[in-house]
Amino acid sequence: MGKYILKRVLISIPVLFLISIGAFVLVHLTPGDPADMYISPDMTAAQVEMTRAALGLDRPLFIQYVDWMANFLTGNMGFSFADRQPVLDIISQRLGPTLLLMSISLIVAYATAIPLGIIAALHKNSKLDRAIIGWTFFNVSFPPFFLGLALIYIFAVELDLLPTGGMEVLGMENDGIDLAEHLVLPVIVMAAQFSANMIRYVRASVLEVLGQNYIRTALAKGLRWRQILRFHVLRNSLIPIVTVIGTDLPKVIGGAVITEQIFQWPGIGSLTVAAINSRDYPVLMAIVILSAIAVLIANLTVDIAYAAIDPRIKYSK
Amino acid sequence: MGLLSWIRKRKGLALAVCLALSVTMLAGCGGGSKGGGSSAGKKEALTIGMFNAPDSFNPLFNPGIAGQFTIRFMYDTLLGMPEINKFTPQLANSIDTTDNQNFTIKLNEKAKWTDGKPVTADDVVFTFNLIANPKVETTKGSYINMLEGTDSVGKRPDGTPIPDLVAVDEHTVTFRTKKPVDPNYLKSMLGFEVYIVPKHVFEKIDPANISNSDAVTKPTVTSGTYKFVSYKTNDHVELAANEDYYKGSPKLKKVFIRIMNGTNLVTELKSGNVQLAASGGIGSVPVKDLDVLKKDNKLIVKAVPSLNTQYLEVNNSNPAFNVKFRRAVTMAIDRQKICDELYKGTAQIVPTVYTKVSPVYDESVKPLPYDPEAAKKELAESGFDTSKEITLQVPIGNVLREQSADLIQQNLQAIGLNVKQQKLDFPTVLGNAKKGDYEMMLLGYGLTPDPDYSNYFVPGGSNNFCHADDPKLTEMMNNAASLPDAEARKAAYKEIQAYMRDNQFVTSLYETDQINVQSKNLVGGIKDFWEGSLDDLYQWHFE
Repeated sequence: MGKYILKRVLISIPVLFLISIGAFVLVHLTPGDPADMYISPDMTAAQVEMTRAALGLDRPLFIQYVDWMANFLTGNMGFSFADRQPVLDIISQRLGPTLLLMSISLIVAYATAIPLGIIAALHKNSKLDRAIIGWTFFNVSFPPFFLGLALIYIFAVELDLLPTGGMEVLGMENDGIDLAEHLVLPVIVMAAQFSANMIRYVRASVLEVLGQNYIRTALAKGLRWRQILRFHVLRNSLIPIVTVIGTDLPKVIGGAVITEQIFQWPGIGSLTVAAINSRDYPVLMAIVILSAIAVLIANLTVDIAYAAIDPRIKYSK
Repeated sequence: MGLLSWIRKRKGLALAVCLALSVTMLAGCGGGSKGGGSSAGKKEALTIGMFNAPDSFNPLFNPGIAGQFTIRFMYDTLLGMPEINKFTPQLANSIDTTDNQNFTIKLNEKAKWTDGKPVTADDVVFTFNLIANPKVETTKGSYINMLEGTDSVGKRPDGTPIPDLVAVDEHTVTFRTKKPVDPNYLKSMLGFEVYIVPKHVFEKIDPANISNSDAVTKPTVTSGTYKFVSYKTNDHVELAANEDYYKGSPKLKKVFIRIMNGTNLVTELKSGNVQLAASGGIGSVPVKDLDVLKKDNKLIVKAVPSLNTQYLEVNNSNPAFNVKFRRAVTMAIDRQKICDELYKGTAQIVPTVYTKVSPVYDESVKPLPYDPEAAKKELAESGFDTSKEITLQVPIGNVLREQSADLIQQNLQAIGLNVKQQKLDFPTVLGNAKKGDYEMMLLGYGLTPDPDYSNYFVPGGSNNFCHADDPKLTEMMNNAASLPDAEARKAAYKEIQAYMRDNQFVTSLYETDQINVQSKNLVGGIKDFWEGSLDDLYQWHFE
């Protein structure tokens, strides 16, 4: 197992390298010259050139990439074009809030989705099942920006129970309760999306297992239903569920673009949009690389989890 | 990994879920007491809502308006300007002259940097020389280019100090201009637009590297009302009162400038979490939400004329687009309808690029009327081949401007022009404007209080997007800019306005009002002259 993990980690290095080249080229191919965004109308051509030079845009693309890579390997991600702040500072400010929001959202989502999915499967075609499935349809088809705005309108503006957005009340000593207040609405919006997806997977997966012969055997052996559920049904339904978790995990790093914007959550998602709009290449590159690493780690984790769940899956070499 | 460990894992999950749920529930209970936002601790903290993230805290290089606005909290200029051409002492008590060419700056002896050192004549001389240094990346050059020995962008190409710029004593600086200038012009440029930097900090930095140095990305030694505390990128700037501020300790102890979009700004203003909209193009509430805010009795909403105007640019370099054609275009457009229906009365028709706010605005110059019949007549006289298709380039992003394009297109079609719209992103339209690669386009300018707009109308001017090349206009503009006397200048610009109205080098569509929104209990706030808003910042407070 250790060898397998090591191999996977080693493979991901060239993958990351290729991603960085692809991202670098794509980012630089977007129309619009960043220098145009960071100059004032009264600047002369010479002054614009000075700004381009200060941003390092006056050199050939290849040199820019080599430079960027060399710096990146030493832990220097450069400075933002938009405000000249170090990229590392910007990313580290943003990473915490996104991790917090997304991990709580995922926990809340799974904590509701997994039981609901199992219940729906066990009561297949009952009213309860239809209600749960209807609920997932509702959540999947309800756009997050609308749900977010509706919640803000009801709970923040009209009822004045919760804050409209942000992560803290600025200018006050902030405690956990204040943070939790700010988390409630965005977590609801995020969790609604995650859970809708998950409920449907869990239901399908459990239904499939319930139809298997070994469940009938277990029933015939006279095992109690609870035991069957816990040791036979759940365990065997886990593989597809873990796959879904694997696709959700990278979002913990990448953030949620729309939800973060609506709730002014100072996370990676809203930073990404701002960086694209201002053609802030160094920040974009950092986000792309970070997201790529997150995806690779999530994939590896899922593969390891497969082996842990299902003894039939073994990784050799 | 066996079954037991799996259960153990699930226990962890269950625990985490319980924790999350309890946090959520706690939040639900605690919500009522704090959601309102205006508890006692907040009285000394002001939160401002702004659309754009500040692009810079660098007093020498700040192309974006959001950066300029933020920097003014931290750095003082020599003079303040709460209204156009009305000056207040800041770091300087006065800038005086007897001959409009030799000037004397008298500094405020009480002014000091946040590290306790006094602001001296050496700092002023150092700042001007730094701006003139060819190695320094700066946007301030055009504010000092009247100084003797500087080129048109305010640089000393050989890198030597500016001649005749002298620190006479600790608090007196003298300098000389290339030729006599209107003192108000000099004060509004060099006095109001140039932030003085601390020599003892900036002299230690390589001039070529200032823009990326810590001194300007996380400023520590400043002279203004507030001190920089922190900046969370694209989220908020935190500022704290400079208790030793030379005009007096600021009454608001903290200022937060939060970055948010228009919809969020409206909800936050309504909920009281934001008490002031930055206004002025970087924080104006959307026109569609104005009624909602006006009904809120905790808020003050006010629309005042501004220097922001929208134009229909007609490419002057195309010989088919002659004077008659351009006049026909202007008279064909029902501008009042755009102002009333799209802007709900927060936009006003302007005769030329000079708006009511401009100190040289002349009321006797009336705008060309909306008169489709007269437009048809002049169009016929222009000899324009109406079967030819004309493309109108429309930049996307400004929703009202995009909507106005439909009305303009219909109006132009009504007089027989075959107009098609082409929507493009803003950087592309701007690039086409510079290259002259267009027939018609919609653009907006935010103009300066100083009336010299030769940049926009003289051949070779960096913003001559209409590609005007009219010898008479060029001569008039160059002459008016060089007059040292305020009254003579005003008279010259009056003539320019009449000439512009008659020739329609650009179709000035309308001026868009600056919309100020703030909490009723805030004393202070955005002024009618937006750039001068922070003049009395240290006295702002909540009632």
